[in-house]
Amino acid sequence: MTILPELPVLPAAAPTRAAEWRSRVMAPRVVAGAVLLGVLAAAVAPGLLAPGDPLAVHPVDAFSAPSLAHPFGTDDSGRDLYTRVVHGASASLLIGVAATLIGTLLGLVLGIAAGVGTRLTDAAVSRVLEVLFALPGLLLALVIIAFAGPGPIPATLAVGLATAPGYARIFRTRIRAVRSSEMVEAARVLGRGPLTLLVRHVLPNALAPVVVLATLGVGQAIVWASSLSYLGLGSPPPAPEWGAMLEAGRTYLQIAPWMTVFPGLAIVATAAATTVVGRAFAGAGRR
Amino acid sequence: MSTQYLEELVSKNTAGDVIPWLATSWKEASDGLSWTFSLKKGVKFTDGTAFDAAAVVANVKHVQDPTTLSSTGYLALAKVKKAVAVDDSTVRLDLSSPDSSLLDSLSQPWLAIESPTALKRTQAVNCESPVGTGPFKVVKWTKQQSITLERNDGYTSPPKDAAHTGKAYLAKIVWRFLPDSASRYAALQAGQVDVIDNAQPDTIVAARKSDQIKELDAPRPGASNRLELNSSQAPFNDERVREAFIRGVAVNDGITSLFFGTAKRSYSLLSSVEKDAYSDPSLFDIDTTKANDLLDSAGWTTRDSAGYRTKDGKRLTVRFPVSTNQSIPAERALFEQIQEEAKSLGFDVEISQLDLSSWYGALAAHKYEIVSAPYTKVGPGVLGVLYDSASITPAPSGYFANNAQVDSRKVDALLKQASAESDATKRADLYEQVQKSVLEGYYVLPLYDQQNHYLYRTSVHGLRAMPTVSTPTFYDAWVQR
Repeated sequence: MTILPELPVLPAAAPTRAAEWRSRVMAPRVVAGAVLLGVLAAAVAPGLLAPGDPLAVHPVDAFSAPSLAHPFGTDDSGRDLYTRVVHGASASLLIGVAATLIGTLLGLVLGIAAGVGTRLTDAAVSRVLEVLFALPGLLLALVIIAFAGPGPIPATLAVGLATAPGYARIFRTRIRAVRSSEMVEAARVLGRGPLTLLVRHVLPNALAPVVVLATLGVGQAIVWASSLSYLGLGSPPPAPEWGAMLEAGRTYLQIAPWMTVFPGLAIVATAAATTVVGRAFAGAGRR
Repeated sequence: MSTQYLEELVSKNTAGDVIPWLATSWKEASDGLSWTFSLKKGVKFTDGTAFDAAAVVANVKHVQDPTTLSSTGYLALAKVKKAVAVDDSTVRLDLSSPDSSLLDSLSQPWLAIESPTALKRTQAVNCESPVGTGPFKVVKWTKQQSITLERNDGYTSPPKDAAHTGKAYLAKIVWRFLPDSASRYAALQAGQVDVIDNAQPDTIVAARKSDQIKELDAPRPGASNRLELNSSQAPFNDERVREAFIRGVAVNDGITSLFFGTAKRSYSLLSSVEKDAYSDPSLFDIDTTKANDLLDSAGWTTRDSAGYRTKDGKRLTVRFPVSTNQSIPAERALFEQIQEEAKSLGFDVEISQLDLSSWYGALAAHKYEIVSAPYTKVGPGVLGVLYDSASITPAPSGYFANNAQVDSRKVDALLKQASAESDATKRADLYEQVQKSVLEGYYVLPLYDQQNHYLYRTSVHGLRAMPTVSTPTFYDAWVQR
């Protein structure tokens, strides 16, 4: 997550290379953009894409394989999986975005404290961050859930808090770098106060790369949130949440693989699409 | 598991008759207030202690000691005042009132006889290395992984219906813990294990296609798996609301599809293996019009924005704590279907999935309106445990068995009569009246027998389930290699 991709140097003149660039770089981005638009549409207006009720049971049709009536098949209670996957988009996307927001905001606060504060606060915050880094992110999220109890809101908080140390560290480094730049030096010489320096000069320059990183982080947050639901720590069943659907299908992997395949594909596609789009932003930011 | 190393005083044959095990014969006094048992001679516990009348007395005391925290055993011996050792091989149980299900109770594994020497150790040690008279003994217990049993070479006390006498054929059994159903089945298919228990419906169906694997279907005795509606508090204190729920929630299609036809719908309070089970499907005919009318007449006439019924501004909410340890995925899916079905009637069913101790906690605090609590006991005497108003009072462990909180003088009186009745036909008739009363009061929605399926490789021979509580016994078993 912290490694920014190295984009190929773009030779604008050579047409063959331009064509290659289109197919190798642009094509995945177009596909990813389309997937993301689809997921967004599903999240904003699920009823338009799938007018059915994601919770409606129909035991007689349980375990139906994908067909025209049920394009993704049905689950163990005869619920239509297509409807459930579409209606699950909002939950997954919301948790992904909300968790990333929590992570970046908390990271911002910690990063400012460490980057602008005294040497002592910097040392204190940095040591705390190092301790948190010692724990793998998902494990940290599990620890938080253990205290807060399961549920969609604790899961969002947990993922958000677990990603915060990463953002905090990048903020801190960026803020320190910008603070010692000639531009800020010049402003200081001109007699600007510390608050003006921070708000007008340091933050805007430190924020940009983190915004790009956060876009990348949304994909990861979605995967983590799904993992927590898969472990039964997120949205309770029968809510149409992708991770929870994956868990419900696990028991029937041999006889009804579509119960896991389609929610799984949705998670992979969304996470991959946000990552590709995030990388595109990152590339644009560097150019 | 314990069936391999612990034994009871009596057992049952497949016809349901009580047969000798550690006790060779028994006699009830004419007033029904005392029972005398003659014990098998020359039997030793695997720690060398002799099995005698004093050992039985010590065991009764142990189960009745509140600090043991026995739930089912404690209730099963509720009527036993004291145990007296008449001589070395004769023991007498004195009762406070006649108990026609005493022999049924004594045939159950939770009243197995343990070594009195071993019982003197602390509870924790005793639970880890129990000592009995059985054909095997526990030699190693690796928590969460496996238990190793070795043959008891001095074994002399098989139940009367065993296929052979003397020591067991198998020298060693390794009992492995594989909590995941799919990996259990995979291990069986690969031949890593010879027998698996708790086979899930989809694997049973898969196994039927295989010629390497056979199935042992042994439904548990006692109560059927059922939903109990808590009649002690709103809204189910109103019989009309209970009937509406039971008449309005269709479960048959769900049971068929989720269990792939391996579980049969039950309309009885008792397991289908109980001779005295009474069944009445007509009480459970689905009639949503009637269900809605009943709810209207009970005053739940308005609906809120979410579509749930309300009365005096309060939503028709019923809490349904589900123990994740005691219910399989198929059953949990069925409960979700019930939740969805009840929603169209206007019920807001709140399912909460809890671990076992939180689940007991929710019951003890009466924070439930619906509950599914499996109860295994040999014989129709289970009705007394589950529906006598006395069972609303919790045992020392905090556990109480009358989850529907049926508090009916008629039922209490019938149960008392049945318990004192030694004539089998009359007793069956009394128990039938009890079952009718409870079913017709709409306290209970029976679902199916307590499922208990074993799968085993065809190389395993002589495996059977005890006719008492359907636990597997490996005494007669051998493996063809």
